[in-house]
Amino acid sequence: MNVEVFKTEEYVLVSVEGRVDTTNAGEFEKTMMGILEEGALRIVLDCTALNYISSSGLRVFLVVQKKMMASKGHFSLCSLQPGIKEIFDISGFSSIFTIFPHKEAAIKG
Amino acid sequence: MGDKLEMKIMVVDDEVDLESLIRQKFRTQIKDGLYNFVFAHNGLEALSMLIEQPEIRLILSDINMPEMDGLTLLLKLKELKNPLLKTVVVSAYGDMENIRTAMNRGAFDFLTKPISFDDLEITINKSVDEIALAWNSAQEHDQLIAIQQDLRTARGIQQAILPKIFPPFPDFPEFSIFASMIAAKEVGGDFFDFFMIDNQRLGFVIGDVSGKGVTAAIFMAVSRTLIRATGIKGVTTHECMNYVNRLLCNDNDSLMFVTVFYGILNIASGEIEYVNAGHNPPYIVSENNVKLVEMTGGPILGCIEDVEYQSKNVKLNPGDLLFLFTDGVTEAFNNQEEPYGDVRLVTYLHEQMGGPIEEVVRKSFASVSEFSAGVPQSDDITLMAIRFNGRN
Repeated sequence: MNVEVFKTEEYVLVSVEGRVDTTNAGEFEKTMMGILEEGALRIVLDCTALNYISSSGLRVFLVVQKKMMASKGHFSLCSLQPGIKEIFDISGFSSIFTIFPHKEAAIKG
Repeated sequence: MGDKLEMKIMVVDDEVDLESLIRQKFRTQIKDGLYNFVFAHNGLEALSMLIEQPEIRLILSDINMPEMDGLTLLLKLKELKNPLLKTVVVSAYGDMENIRTAMNRGAFDFLTKPISFDDLEITINKSVDEIALAWNSAQEHDQLIAIQQDLRTARGIQQAILPKIFPPFPDFPEFSIFASMIAAKEVGGDFFDFFMIDNQRLGFVIGDVSGKGVTAAIFMAVSRTLIRATGIKGVTTHECMNYVNRLLCNDNDSLMFVTVFYGILNIASGEIEYVNAGHNPPYIVSENNVKLVEMTGGPILGCIEDVEYQSKNVKLNPGDLLFLFTDGVTEAFNNQEEPYGDVRLVTYLHEQMGGPIEEVVRKSFASVSEFSAGVPQSDDITLMAIRFNGRN
């Protein structure tokens, strides 16, 4: 897993690459918590290069979503690979998260 | 030195004025909470103080003292076998014989009288660093032990709640059922369960909790018990899922969740009423085809309180096999980083469907493990198969 964070005044773009699984979900959660603590109001998670996500990883998505809802912020995902999209559809996550096909659309909100 | 931990130092000396000298010399460290000095006046008093205050890490002891001298104290300390406790002895200048004896009895270092306070400070600091190092590595070791213990507990919880007796319902020839789980090294949260609601209906469930370890295992045990206790009352599958979901959502601050497929098989008609709460869909394997059991649209259990789950119905014909599994199956990877995948599973199942139910499951496991040979199993793998035999 590799996570890159790009911050602007309006949004924080997080690009996650590779696999998010049990071994690194904790690290991923820490990164995301750091961004939340800085008071980000719009977070876009770019999943273009996300190849695999386990349930531990999905839990981190949920945590971010709940926290962002509590702080009236916006959290969205974009560019899910077909395999990841399928996991989202099966688990019902597709109806929980705001998902955009492209980064540009997600940033505009 | 890593974290600043308060170092408790015991000074053992029959000269009482040493106490005020030390308190004066180390006043800054004492004020900053780095060093905490306690004072004993002979070996015996030192030992009893050590029992009362096991957090003492460093001992600074004189050799010549009434009641119990420093060399005897060293012998007693050695018996304690505490690698985190270090002793520095103080002896008369040039008293090589006693110093050698002290070192042979496990003293960490020595000082000579009259005490040079600069030397004392260097010696204490050096000892403290050494102890902190030993302390940190002991802590890391303890953490490792704790993690191993955690995994054992999790495995225990998981194994304890899974049904183990097969065939479970020999009095009901209308169906046969077999299920099994192979836990990953870092235990996940898979489970399966089944129960007769009455003479006509079999309740069955397969689930996968997010995460691993003890928290996942406990969440799994709670989920399984809630589903069983609710389902066995004979309520519809969506009522059961609604109720269990609301209970799991309570105080679930860590946002663990569980994917569940819960179904009720009418053993006379082959009709199945079911809810799929975010679980990967099972397959129905018939002689002529293999089809996915349609999703019911509900999300995972435990996180979204106000969900109303919907149930659906599907019918098994005599001979049909319902095959449920967790994503540990389809997401088992080979050394080319390819997943086992649904296609392989379906093909395999279709070839094997005619065999005894236990064999279908066991051979499927073998097929997965053959595929992923040499790659460590990252997730629990659970398979459950139900064959509807009908009433002849």
